[in-house]
Amino acid sequence: MTRVLAFLLAAAAVVLCSAMPARASDPTPRTPIRHFITLMQENHTFDNYFGTYPGVDGIPKDTCVPLGRKPKPCFRPFHVGENAIAQRDLDHSQMTYRLQYNGGRMDGFIRALGLRNQDGRLALGYRDDRDIPYYWNLADQYVLYDRFFSSAGAGSFLNHIYWAAASPGDGYDRVPPNGFGNLKTIFDRLEAKGISWKFYVQNYEPKLNRRTINRFPGNRASQVIWVPLLNFDRYLDNPKIMRHIVNLDQYFVDLQTGHLPAVSYIAPSGPSEHPPSSLTSGQAFVRSLINALMRSRDWKDSAFLLSYDDWGGFYDHVKPPQVDAYGYGFRVPSLLVSPYARRGFVDSTTLDFTSILRFIEDNWSLRPLTQRDAKAKSIAGGFDFSRPPREAEFVSARRGVAEQARPKRNLIYLFYLGAVALPAGIMVWAAAASRRRRASEAGERA
Amino acid sequence: MARRATARRARLATDQGAAHLTIVAAPEETPPERRVLDVVGERLQPAFSRYGYALVAAGFCTALFVRFWHLNAEGFNSDEAVYAGQGAAIANDPQLTPFFPVFRAHPLLFQTFLAIGYRLGGGDLMARSFSAAFGVGTILLTFAAARLLYGRRVAVIAALLIGLMPYDVVVSRQVLLDGPMTFFATLSLFLVALYATSGRRAWLYAAGAAMGLTVLSKETSVLVVGSLFVFFALSPEVKTRTRDLVYAGGLMAAVTLTYPLTLRLAGSGRSGQNYLAWQLFRRPNHEWSFYPTSVPEAMGPAVVIVALAGLWILRRKTTWRETLLLSWIIVPAVFFQLWPVKGFQYLLPTAPPVAILCARMLGLWRPKGFALRRVQLNGRFAVGALTVAVAASLAVASWQRIQPSKSGTFLAGSGGIPGGRELGGWIKGHVPRGAEFLAIGPSMANIVSFYGHRKTYGISVGPNPLRRNPAYEPIGNPDLAIRRNEVQYLVWDAFSAARTSFFSNVLLRYADRYHGRIVHTEAVKVRTKTGAVVERPLILVYEVHG
Repeated sequence: MTRVLAFLLAAAAVVLCSAMPARASDPTPRTPIRHFITLMQENHTFDNYFGTYPGVDGIPKDTCVPLGRKPKPCFRPFHVGENAIAQRDLDHSQMTYRLQYNGGRMDGFIRALGLRNQDGRLALGYRDDRDIPYYWNLADQYVLYDRFFSSAGAGSFLNHIYWAAASPGDGYDRVPPNGFGNLKTIFDRLEAKGISWKFYVQNYEPKLNRRTINRFPGNRASQVIWVPLLNFDRYLDNPKIMRHIVNLDQYFVDLQTGHLPAVSYIAPSGPSEHPPSSLTSGQAFVRSLINALMRSRDWKDSAFLLSYDDWGGFYDHVKPPQVDAYGYGFRVPSLLVSPYARRGFVDSTTLDFTSILRFIEDNWSLRPLTQRDAKAKSIAGGFDFSRPPREAEFVSARRGVAEQARPKRNLIYLFYLGAVALPAGIMVWAAAASRRRRASEAGERA
Repeated sequence: MARRATARRARLATDQGAAHLTIVAAPEETPPERRVLDVVGERLQPAFSRYGYALVAAGFCTALFVRFWHLNAEGFNSDEAVYAGQGAAIANDPQLTPFFPVFRAHPLLFQTFLAIGYRLGGGDLMARSFSAAFGVGTILLTFAAARLLYGRRVAVIAALLIGLMPYDVVVSRQVLLDGPMTFFATLSLFLVALYATSGRRAWLYAAGAAMGLTVLSKETSVLVVGSLFVFFALSPEVKTRTRDLVYAGGLMAAVTLTYPLTLRLAGSGRSGQNYLAWQLFRRPNHEWSFYPTSVPEAMGPAVVIVALAGLWILRRKTTWRETLLLSWIIVPAVFFQLWPVKGFQYLLPTAPPVAILCARMLGLWRPKGFALRRVQLNGRFAVGALTVAVAASLAVASWQRIQPSKSGTFLAGSGGIPGGRELGGWIKGHVPRGAEFLAIGPSMANIVSFYGHRKTYGISVGPNPLRRNPAYEPIGNPDLAIRRNEVQYLVWDAFSAARTSFFSNVLLRYADRYHGRIVHTEAVKVRTKTGAVVERPLILVYEVHG
């Protein structure tokens, strides 16, 4: 009986281990990056977050977006604080995108939302370092991409499937009724080559997938959108693959135990920054992920790419290149954090979510999935592998901390050493006077 | 004019001699005028026998030994970290300047000396050696003052006593302002004594300037002005012109002005004001019995008892000298006894006059001989034996006090903190720059900042500006800070926990709530009651995730 039990335990261990990321067996990457992590937040444009960041292709000074079809009257971009104006989830459907894009004239941002009975002027609100200090600090220290476009001129679903498969799936911006069939994803490539990977999902609900989405009404169902694998029957029916989809807690455990896989996808839950959710909690969430990476032993050969799935209805002034029928969509914020990332670098290479796939494919010598990622440029321009890796340094969540007043140090030395010299001088003078007095008294006695 | 001064000196000399004539066994062998007055060129008869000198030499060697032995064995405590950090900030050390503002609480005389040392490449050992050097200087000044007041024999004993006194030994082994303050206070005492014995007002001016340096060491020593006032008020035989006192006071003020001037011209004028306001209104930090119990023990009970006995036994011989010494002791002692804020080392400037009073008794008292069983002992032998016993008791106590601490409790100002420096080394090697820490209190926060170069908050630092040291930055909502990932590490330490179990529990609750994982431990080996040697954790570092 004991032997049987031992055998069963050993067999279970072998099965479990085979499903776990086998770091040692990962093929050697082409760059020093052995761990690549990509996080997809929600619904902001580049101009919305970094339109006033110095040195980028930001909001032009004379920007004034028409309120209607005619150029005048128009409305100028304005700074919106975290709580200054009631936040709204602006419409970001394919139709709204088309109206805002307006045949490439980029002047329909207000009108398109007005047609949805929303105050379109909210699209012109932008953030700066007062609202997102952590992201601006990240940009100061690492790489900010200012021509990073969403892959599709559409909402979350299409862009997430591009993120995983370099493809629009069935072309509709919604959960496919019949799943995605044999559409290849980057995870197929990784799996085929024995490269470790995981999909970390915040507040992961294992029972929630394409088949069960109707049982989970409300926002909870967004897990199926943000985790594209849950729309593939061949994955859902494969427990080995499904073991790669884990709760986000496992990310921290893996970092602590040295089991971070080669490729990690992360999907948020509450702190996704999807309006109207708090930007502060979103930054805290991202900071927790990056800080955990920084204090792990894997930091030295890792890269973390933060991006946003779509434009969320907000204004962006750069007309996206049209590479096919689906996109690109408007620009989204994107930051690269890595010990090999250039410091304070603004990369203006034209990129989209498939550029992430392109980097993974280049780094681990994988075949491209579609024409999109085959033609896409990689995010690799943000790296500088000629320099040694930078030491981990937590980036502050506070911006513009007033520099301490610089004391005039020379004055301190001057005054205090002078203060010592004065009594010393008086003592020397007193001793000399005492000596003279004694000498004169001795003379008198003589 | 010169004739009048000469006459006055003769009168003082006669007075001094008269005192000795009745105390010392063979006054006719020692002309009184050779015992007092200027120290320069004085030649005295030998104060001790050959064996006596050997013992004294051994005592001084011990005094030096206990000041420098294993001086750098343990890392800085909180106050040391602050002063050393200020010194490093003056020296513009890029690692420490972000955590330690130049202008914080006290004047910067000692910190400026430290800054010069840091600029020359010094470290912890340099800083503590500076402090110990001031301690050695205090021994020499105690010798000089006692020699001026009572002759060489008393001077040698007084220097021996202060050299071995645990109070002075312990404090002068630390980077604290009280060692330099005591040095300059003793210098002031010596110069006042010079003035009183010589009548030369130049020494009074020098004393005024030296008192300015005392205040620049630590502003609480402004109390020496009160001591001086009491002395002149109670010693009519020391005639002093008001004009000279004003000049001396002016010189003191001129030197002291360095503090506000540098605050105004070289930095922030508000720092000093805020700190003063806080000190004036802060709540008591010790019981009223703190000084009566802790300071005599630190000075050596035998020293205090003998000094008091000397005041009684030799009461008929009391002159302005004792008034001077007592005013130097009583004014600060009374002030700090009444003052709600108490610190172990605050009364250190009273140690040299206490040592001199004790030495006065041991050096000048000549009891008659007596029989112990069948052995006839003369008084000289008995006093000699008493002197050796007192010195030995101090040496033993000092030796015990300078041993590395293996206790989880800590009295501020009583020595270094075990594990603090090692913790900093670990932090620098394992924790990303920019990480922020949360400790139980500001003491460990200072140590982590100094050795680990990471920003550290203390939970116990209250957000109410009226109830906290303005030098400390409070953390408004620790819970939120951890949740927002602004604080990533918690530091629990046994020393702070022993002082405040409440905030210790708060910190441990955060560790529990935010999945705290112990990533580093500093421990000491202690012997249990059963005799087993076990490791006792002193400092624990938790990694937390918001």
